[in-house]
Amino acid sequence: MLPYALGMLVFVLGPLIAVLAISLTNWSLLDTPKYVGAANYLKLASDRDFLSSLAVTGFFTLGILLLNITAALVLANLMNLRLPGIGAFRTVVFSPVVMPVVAWALVWKFLLQPQGPINTALQGSGMPDANLLFAPGTALGTVIVIEVLKSVGLNAVIFLSALQGLPREVLEASRLDGANRWQTYTRVILPLISPTFFLVFVITLIGALKVFTPIWVLTGGGPSNATTTLLVYMYKQGFGFFDFGYASVIAAVLFVLILVTTVLQWNLRRRLVFYEE
Amino acid sequence: MNLPAPDSAVRPPQRPWTLLLYLMLALISLPFLLPIVWMLLSSLKSSAAIFGNPFQLTAGDLRLQNFADVFSNYPFARQYLNSLSILLITVPVTLLLSALAGYGFARLRFPGRDAAFLLTLTAMMVPSEMTAVPQFLIFKTLGLTNTHIPIVVLQVFSATGALAVFLMRQHFITLPRELDEAGRVDGLGYWGVFWHLLLPLSRPALATVAIFALLNSWNDYFNPLIYLNDERLMTLPLALQRFTDPLGGVYWNLTLTAGVLVALPVLAAFLLAQKQFIESLAASGTKG
Repeated sequence: MLPYALGMLVFVLGPLIAVLAISLTNWSLLDTPKYVGAANYLKLASDRDFLSSLAVTGFFTLGILLLNITAALVLANLMNLRLPGIGAFRTVVFSPVVMPVVAWALVWKFLLQPQGPINTALQGSGMPDANLLFAPGTALGTVIVIEVLKSVGLNAVIFLSALQGLPREVLEASRLDGANRWQTYTRVILPLISPTFFLVFVITLIGALKVFTPIWVLTGGGPSNATTTLLVYMYKQGFGFFDFGYASVIAAVLFVLILVTTVLQWNLRRRLVFYEE
Repeated sequence: MNLPAPDSAVRPPQRPWTLLLYLMLALISLPFLLPIVWMLLSSLKSSAAIFGNPFQLTAGDLRLQNFADVFSNYPFARQYLNSLSILLITVPVTLLLSALAGYGFARLRFPGRDAAFLLTLTAMMVPSEMTAVPQFLIFKTLGLTNTHIPIVVLQVFSATGALAVFLMRQHFITLPRELDEAGRVDGLGYWGVFWHLLLPLSRPALATVAIFALLNSWNDYFNPLIYLNDERLMTLPLALQRFTDPLGGVYWNLTLTAGVLVALPVLAAFLLAQKQFIESLAASGTKG
């Protein structure tokens, strides 16, 4: 217990507080930090790039949540079919989860290059300027899809295990009561797997707010900030422009965002999650 | 009344539909499978040939030379060893620390326990990228930048580490308290109960933690990006982006070959241990 607690204190809690302190200064890491009070925070409000990164983070998180959880639920139900060879299907859907993140991102980056296979194929089928990853309008959506393909297998397997753990008696009782498949699904199965639903929701939400590597490798935040999330923006300000005071403000904003969603989650959990006992 | 046999698995539909179903499953599989297959095929081609028909693989372009080039022209073997040794230290340390902390949160009473657990939950949510600046200063003061030590330490105390503690706590809570009491009666202390009674019952939870720790360590991109400048110290995720010519153009064939070499051990391990892998995830994933 103690080594872990000490480590947490030194490497997580301490730095967290330090981030808040640094956010009140102007600092390039080479000179001594200059106290500037709330100036960095005031700068945020008029910083268009910051507001855009906030919006990108919102779209990205919402997109991932919707697409990932819907797809995971559908895939889990398909994985749960009693068909010969269904194990192969499960393996295929799960295999991107164990692919290294950078390798997965680089493969897609190549596939989606302007003169790469996918664009060539799209142009061949009459879509002249299909440039999914490097056009401002489609870049974010494309990054979302690539990220969902990478990680949906994990959620699907978690849902699958919940579906397989459903008590038979309850399903049987529901059939006896004359419920059709849809009713059984929405009124019986979904409430029963709601703890799992919650778990998947939390994992996915936090994961989405924290995504850095795939975006950095795929687009570097471009084109023209179309995929610059808060975290990417923070990295650019800090390790790109050496404006660590400002980077820390952005980090503080992200921290508040994460804190708020966490509190919301716990409240939602009380209301929406059905526990058997 | 003729009830169908109840079963938790959904029964397959009638015959004509089965074929359609298989077709659908095959279609859905494509976007998951194609990038991986394509990467494997491309790793065998010349730089120019991978821009041609993606699935054509003639004997003419078969280039095993890529695999040799990756190792002879770049410090790739060294980087492989770096990633591997970091992994071999990170995973056991994470397992031990998270099991101990999880046990503490689940079983021991001490002042500040709930606050400490809240901190753990917070650490789970906070991206390690966020605290990168102060962490960097700590390691710079200690003179440990451009070594592997920050990479290991930050991996252990990262969001993954916190998740590990959370999972272990959730697991220990499900074990009956009577076990502890029985152990106590037999003269075991806290440590003895933990080590001899609870830990042996924790294999699925430990396996899950090991899987997450393994994947995250193997994939860690951000910390090496910040701490490592020396090419010979770099780990695989960074190495993958360094197959470039002096002008910054990417040697895609070498990049993809290296990608195969990075992905292969993990994919192979997964295929071999697939059943246990999914089962242990499932076992610890559903108890909230």
